[in-house]
Amino acid sequence: MTRRALAAVGTLTALAAVVAFVTTRPESALRAQADPAQDQAPYKAPVDVDTAGLPGPVQPILYRHDVHAGEYQMDCRYCHFAVEVSSSAGLPTVSQCMGCHIIAGAANPEVQKLREYWNERRPIEWAEIHVLSPFVRFPHSRHVQSEEGSFKDLEIVEKCETCHGPIRRMPQVYQHASLKMGWCITCHEKEDVSTDCTVCHY
Amino acid sequence: MAENSNGMNRRKFLTVLGVTGGGAAALSGCSSDSVEKLIPYLVPPENQVPGVATWYASTCRECPAGCGLHVRVREGRAVKVEGNPDHPVNAGRLCARGQASLQGLYNPDRVRQPLSRTADGKFEPIAWEDAIAQVAERLGGSPSDGVRFLTGHEAGSFDRLVDEWLAAFGSRGRVAFEPLGYEALRHANRTVFGIDGLARHDFAAADYVLSFGADFLDTWLSPVEHARGFGARHGYRDGHMGRYVHVEPRLSMTAMSADEWVAPRPGSEGLLALSVAHVIVRDGLASTPADVHRVRPLLDRHVPETVAAETGVPADTVARLAREFTAGPSVALAGGMGIQHAAAHVTAAAVNLLNYVAGNVGRTVRFEGTPTGRPAPYSRLVELTSDMKGGAVRALFMHGANPVHGTPPGLGFRDAMQAVPFKVSFARFMDETAQACDLVLPDHDPLEQWNDFETRPGVHALQQPVMQPVFDTRATGDVLLQVTARVGGPASARLTVTSFKDYLQRSWAALQARVGDRRPFATFWTEALQRGGVWREPSTQRVTLAASAGSLEGSSTWRLPEGRLALIAYPSSALYDGRGANRPWLQELPDPVTKTTWTTWVEIHPETGAELGIAEGDVVEIASDMATIRAQAYLYPGLRRDTVAVPMGQGHTAFGRYAEGRGANVLHLLDAEPTAFGGVATYTGVTLRATGEHAPLPKTEGKPRQMGRGIAQMVTLEELARGEGHGEHGAHAAPVPERIEEILDHWQEGQDEATKYGAYEGEHPRWGMAVDLSRCTGCSACVTACYAENNIATVGPESVRRGREMSWLRIERYFEGGENGEPFEARVLPMLCQQCGSAPCETVCPVFAAYHTPDGLNGQIYNRCVGTRYCSNNCPYKVRYFNWFDYQEPADPTFAWPEPLHWLLNPDVTVRSKGVMEKCTFCVQRIRDKQNQAKLEDRDRLADGEVLTACQQTCPSDAIVFGDLNDPNSRVSALARETRGYHALGELNTRPAVTYLKKVRNLVEG
Repeated sequence: MTRRALAAVGTLTALAAVVAFVTTRPESALRAQADPAQDQAPYKAPVDVDTAGLPGPVQPILYRHDVHAGEYQMDCRYCHFAVEVSSSAGLPTVSQCMGCHIIAGAANPEVQKLREYWNERRPIEWAEIHVLSPFVRFPHSRHVQSEEGSFKDLEIVEKCETCHGPIRRMPQVYQHASLKMGWCITCHEKEDVSTDCTVCHY
Repeated sequence: MAENSNGMNRRKFLTVLGVTGGGAAALSGCSSDSVEKLIPYLVPPENQVPGVATWYASTCRECPAGCGLHVRVREGRAVKVEGNPDHPVNAGRLCARGQASLQGLYNPDRVRQPLSRTADGKFEPIAWEDAIAQVAERLGGSPSDGVRFLTGHEAGSFDRLVDEWLAAFGSRGRVAFEPLGYEALRHANRTVFGIDGLARHDFAAADYVLSFGADFLDTWLSPVEHARGFGARHGYRDGHMGRYVHVEPRLSMTAMSADEWVAPRPGSEGLLALSVAHVIVRDGLASTPADVHRVRPLLDRHVPETVAAETGVPADTVARLAREFTAGPSVALAGGMGIQHAAAHVTAAAVNLLNYVAGNVGRTVRFEGTPTGRPAPYSRLVELTSDMKGGAVRALFMHGANPVHGTPPGLGFRDAMQAVPFKVSFARFMDETAQACDLVLPDHDPLEQWNDFETRPGVHALQQPVMQPVFDTRATGDVLLQVTARVGGPASARLTVTSFKDYLQRSWAALQARVGDRRPFATFWTEALQRGGVWREPSTQRVTLAASAGSLEGSSTWRLPEGRLALIAYPSSALYDGRGANRPWLQELPDPVTKTTWTTWVEIHPETGAELGIAEGDVVEIASDMATIRAQAYLYPGLRRDTVAVPMGQGHTAFGRYAEGRGANVLHLLDAEPTAFGGVATYTGVTLRATGEHAPLPKTEGKPRQMGRGIAQMVTLEELARGEGHGEHGAHAAPVPERIEEILDHWQEGQDEATKYGAYEGEHPRWGMAVDLSRCTGCSACVTACYAENNIATVGPESVRRGREMSWLRIERYFEGGENGEPFEARVLPMLCQQCGSAPCETVCPVFAAYHTPDGLNGQIYNRCVGTRYCSNNCPYKVRYFNWFDYQEPADPTFAWPEPLHWLLNPDVTVRSKGVMEKCTFCVQRIRDKQNQAKLEDRDRLADGEVLTACQQTCPSDAIVFGDLNDPNSRVSALARETRGYHALGELNTRPAVTYLKKVRNLVEG
């Protein structure tokens, strides 16, 4: 990564944030009801969504976090299996998707796309949303396993949502936090954990 | 992070990996072997997780020593190799060549698919099936003995398979040629003891080591194992240490650790050994075995007084050596390749006798049964060559050998190949020999294939594929079996297995029966894979003198021709016989003695240089009776004046971008005629001529001497015994104000006060390191380990000349004495960032990229650095390295990791870009990783020794200890408190976290 490329990444990140802000329009009903904590009744995800009106990049398959994690209340770790032990959260394999979708949702056109990938033995090229610069080390495990500060009494999904936003209400995932250093530091200061540079940069 | 050209980056790779089932299951699924589980060490393959390393046990095949490996695999790619702690040979340690095995795996100049030579002499890709059909067709005719198979040293299933495969075609034409074959040692063991094999030397049990030219810490037999034992026994501990005397005309890297250097006339070492043995028997210094009377007449001809004239070593020195040698447990060693002159078998035989009369055989020198797969002597290769020239060879197969580069050209191997109608190479790289072949069928890298290796009797080590093959290569064992299957008929009937892995497992089933293991085979196999093999304590053979012991054939000395200088051609510490020349880490690794990189040099004594008008860097023509080569001069006081030395390994005309066209091949100067013991003589008479050309040597040494700075300090054992821990003083002995302690304490109080604020509050470790110079041999394994761990770029010879090498950890080597009749001595000191408590670099950084971490590191934040280089300017240790070029940019001509070399990059360490300063941070990624793990296990403190820095982990002699200085019970704290401890340039009050323990020389003469 050259310095120039780094600068470009910085600019892009900033742009993405602006875009995310602009696309957060009040008429987006989905966003308006996106506060899982206050939402005690079982959540029912909308059947149809208009991806054009949603923030975040369009993915090769409209994988609905709001259906899986929200309505069905699946544990995040079912798919993001490495999150407690690794720096990486882990990306579900196509075979893992097929574990359910060999039966479930056969008629759904998005599931049919998935099956096509499976039949052709092709990986799904998801668009990456949460991009950290290569000089940043972010151990998911350390954060998810944390019992410190305000993380103490949180459910796993709530810990995830601290940085990833209201995933359980997102039909299409978008970047919720800036992921810039100031944002990291703010939280680290609030929780009174190390702000030493070499905790993340080496 | 670098991306490769087809846009496959790490993350995408992960995704692809995910599809095939995740983790190690994917790993076996992707390999060309059928889908099977691979067994990783400790962690079962199902648990392989992205972002978490999996370790596989395997065996290093970079030299015949066969050390055990643990390969760190991340997301299906090997990213680091380390020693296997359970392995009896290397116990977790590894040398520089072993560390660089990754650069063989990911070498951009590997043969990427099978190649066939067309009529116009060019190579073209060919499909595997077509290639195998071609071989089968050639062999399918009438079986004959016109088939020859040349391999390197193999000891295990592949070795047997080749023999059986040849037998299937009715041929017995197998030659296993190892360039460093130690023919003289083998010959001497046959003559003196009647044993066809090599002994094992127990350095950990020997208080006294007497080496006749053996570079046992460098390339000789099993250097890592030797360094381990030698470090333990010779290293200073609680008032005790061993003593080591080295006898050789040249002070080699190994000899730099010696307490005394005796330089006899070149070629007369054997006489010296015989006269030492004579004194032992004459004076009854040891209880010698009864059958020694059989060699009495021989020994009695070597009275020290008469031998002195030939060797140039005074008689009283010989008598003293004899007394010292018999005072306690001792071991004598006979020359490595560097001392294999025409009379080397006599030297080796004399050393055998010396060990025998001193009662060492069976104790420190042990023969442990016949190993499998012994290499043939060079003379067998000579026979093969003459068979080839005579047209007796119809088809020649070659695997793991490069005789065109690795033998004197007088042998005419390349010409002889022209007379063979069908030549097949299984080379992984397009080397000089493969270039002259008709078919090149690339083998897997050792890290990609199944195999086994019997390192020594009782040590059965396994090799397993740690990742899917990088290129379209096939394991040679499989190719051989595919050929027999294709030929069909009686050939395939004799070899019924279908894959080499089956063949391997069959021999391991037989091994299981031999070792008396009654469990199911699968259990035995799995356990062996996890451990890295099966080892049993071998029984020591009873050894007596053979009938031929007293009659040494041939001349007992090699005589330097009149008017010539003795040339010693010695194996390069980094490049070995030349097989390491295509690894940029090894090319850029400074030679431990001369600190030269990337080229060939000739070592000349400064006085000889002055006589001949040769200065350092001058291009010198070296002429022998055979040929003339050119090399740059390096003036080295560690030589006799009548001797010059040139390392092997360079002068490649093929073998890839890193090897080609660098330096000269010293073998050109040597006689191709085999010696009496069937080897190549590596001593010859030469003349030197200055050509008048000059270029600066690409070396990393600044000044060869310390100039009174007291950087690498030494103390003698006697001084320590007298309680004088302070050896010599450098500039730090300059007068200091009377109140200095008070002033410093006051200043330190202020510093301590300042560190109480902010993140520095509370208890933290202070990471520190202790380097025991009485153990450090200068072998430089740590340097390459650091390159591998920290993604350090190699910069090439031009940049090295300008002092732009990036070596975070370097071995500084200083000469002492050697002038005005003082004994010559060389000292080494690993120099890395000292992580100063009061760091000069930190105060000058305008952007706080260099700053102090709460746990005592000098942090270097790459993304913050703007490249002013003030820090480097202000660093008294010169351990900060600047990225002058875009080493990580594929489009840049200085790109350091051409595809697929960048696959070896450590994903846990940022790859630095142009304009950024970088340096050692005590492997902070390893510290943070262990801290994260500890936290997940609800531990606030790390155990002592939990974090191993890469340099410490690999150090063969255990010279480096890392840990928490704030913990009074840690190993590093204990060492830092030792009286030998000092800080380099401590007078600058930088308060380093690195404590050096003075080198100790045992000058107590017996």
